[in-house]
Amino acid sequence: MVSIALATLGIFVVGSTQDISAGAGYSQVGPRAFPYLIGTGLMILGGILAWQAVSGGWRNVPMDDETNHDAPDWVAFAILSTGVILHMASIAWAGFVLASTFLFTLVARGFGSRRLFRDIIVGLIVATIAFFIFTRGLGLNLPSGLLGGL
Amino acid sequence: METFNALIAGFGVAMTMQNLMLGFIGVTLGTLVGVLPGVGPALTVALLLPATASFDPTGALIMFAGIYYGAMYGGSTTSILLNTPGESATIMTALEGNKMAKNGRAGPALSTSAIGSFVAGSISVVMLTVVAPLVVDVAIKFGPAEYFAVMILAFVTVSTLLGASMARGLASLFFGLWIGLIGIDGQTGQPRFTMGIPELLDGIDVVVAAVGLFAVGETLYLATYLNKAEDKLEQVKGSIWMSKSDWSRSWKPWLRGTVLGFPIGAMPAGGSEIPTFLSYSVEKKLSKNPEEFGKGAIEGVAGPEAANNASSTGTLAMLLTIGLPTSATAAIVLAAFQQYGLQPGPLLFETQPLLVWGLIASMYIGNVLLLILNLPLVGLWIKLLSIPRPLLYGGILIFATLGAYGLRNSWFDLLLLYIIGLIGFLMRRYDIPVAPTIVGMILGPIAEQQLRRALSISQGDMSIFVTKPISASILLLTVALVIGPLLWKRHLAKRAGALPEAAPT
Repeated sequence: MVSIALATLGIFVVGSTQDISAGAGYSQVGPRAFPYLIGTGLMILGGILAWQAVSGGWRNVPMDDETNHDAPDWVAFAILSTGVILHMASIAWAGFVLASTFLFTLVARGFGSRRLFRDIIVGLIVATIAFFIFTRGLGLNLPSGLLGGL
Repeated sequence: METFNALIAGFGVAMTMQNLMLGFIGVTLGTLVGVLPGVGPALTVALLLPATASFDPTGALIMFAGIYYGAMYGGSTTSILLNTPGESATIMTALEGNKMAKNGRAGPALSTSAIGSFVAGSISVVMLTVVAPLVVDVAIKFGPAEYFAVMILAFVTVSTLLGASMARGLASLFFGLWIGLIGIDGQTGQPRFTMGIPELLDGIDVVVAAVGLFAVGETLYLATYLNKAEDKLEQVKGSIWMSKSDWSRSWKPWLRGTVLGFPIGAMPAGGSEIPTFLSYSVEKKLSKNPEEFGKGAIEGVAGPEAANNASSTGTLAMLLTIGLPTSATAAIVLAAFQQYGLQPGPLLFETQPLLVWGLIASMYIGNVLLLILNLPLVGLWIKLLSIPRPLLYGGILIFATLGAYGLRNSWFDLLLLYIIGLIGFLMRRYDIPVAPTIVGMILGPIAEQQLRRALSISQGDMSIFVTKPISASILLLTVALVIGPLLWKRHLAKRAGALPEAAPT
């Protein structure tokens, strides 16, 4: 199980390295030297990491005994991801407060909370306080959206 | 004498009503956010970076120094009461402090850590005051070649000395360097790695990257892998004050911790892990009752806490005098300077003496504020620790997105935040340290600039780095730091000889 995951990471690192070093070719003389250096470095490191993964896994990894990597909770992962992406999509028209309340509720759900009503209320309060502190007190610009007229 | 006058002028700046208030707010906010479990100093500083945006540079930086100190202190409270060290610097504190809390001695543990932080912080600010002008005198002679050499040293030490694996540390560093490349090239105006996306022309903002890696990545990781794990919060029973014997057992470790912490924190190789580990083992060796270690010895809290605090001041000394961040937190503080177009380093002492000395003076004041603030407010920090996890992380994500979105009101920054969060999640999963990425992305562009300047001075001759004495010796030191531990390991392995392949540590 772990070795499969490690091999995947090795491929991932090598793969992304190739993308990067290919990208390094874009630029002209002068601004190109440093990216080349980094691209090469990434390729070499990707190679080393892949080799380490193939030849017996990470070196010197302290095993955290609380951490259980065998039972990932992908449902929680998906709920959280949905939360962040919906927040991104809705913030401009729904406004910061509503979008954040929704995000808060989803994150709480992702962490196993079953008390939907409480989560919505707390989320609304936190988001509203944050909104006023940052817009009125600290001069940051946040969209008020649907609640703008209130 | 000159230094003394400068410092007095600095106090004049720091003692104005507005700056005192900002320092106070900074310390409070820093502690408040730093106490939250899972929020280390680097994330605290990144989350609060947007909060300082509307003040003048001096005020904002004074507030920022307060946040930095508060975050450091808040982290230790969490370690003592929850046994979940927010970052590696507080592992040692957690070790003994949490045992003390289990034995019903949480109060004295928190006190010795607060007073120890104060003692160490104050002494090391005095050291900073004395040392800074001396370092500036040397650093003012640095040319691009020397700067580049120093940065290489910082890169190498940050990524190889602190993690478990050199390859993973370097991979993280290079990833950060690549992120730093994204955007318009400062010297020729060429866009690089923007993939045709106009939003990327400005580069990826430090707040987005740091918050993405630390907050979003960590939240995803916890929800996915540690959802079921329960943290046990220790109650604070009895008096929070230290008894006479606690005092007599604490003061020497405080001083020793300070002496260890400041110089090591100031070295480019520093960080705060090494001094806290050293301090812990020194205290264990010197203690009259070593058998108490591992069961809640107060020396084991006092020493490492002082070392931790002193080293964070040492890190700031390096940042102010040379402009070199040696930890992820310091790298974000550097980004805060850059927000105002200020480049910390020897020149800043010349061009903005009031700002620099005002900042140093505010550190004296900040330490006092922390002490006054923390002991009476212990109860409040404990309440914060008992916030249920779902609500806590919901709140953290609200502030994370607020920081990222507030920068320029673009949904694209939120997308970046999520993508970087995913990368942070993977890095966390596979034990790749995040700190080198942050240092790489902030220091990378500066290093590139110095490299290209040095090369245009020498007309493309690479030997400039080895023919100039200062840069040559710094590079030599770098090589020694990389090769040394490798040889040492090989030596140990040879000694172990007959033993089979190193056991998993």
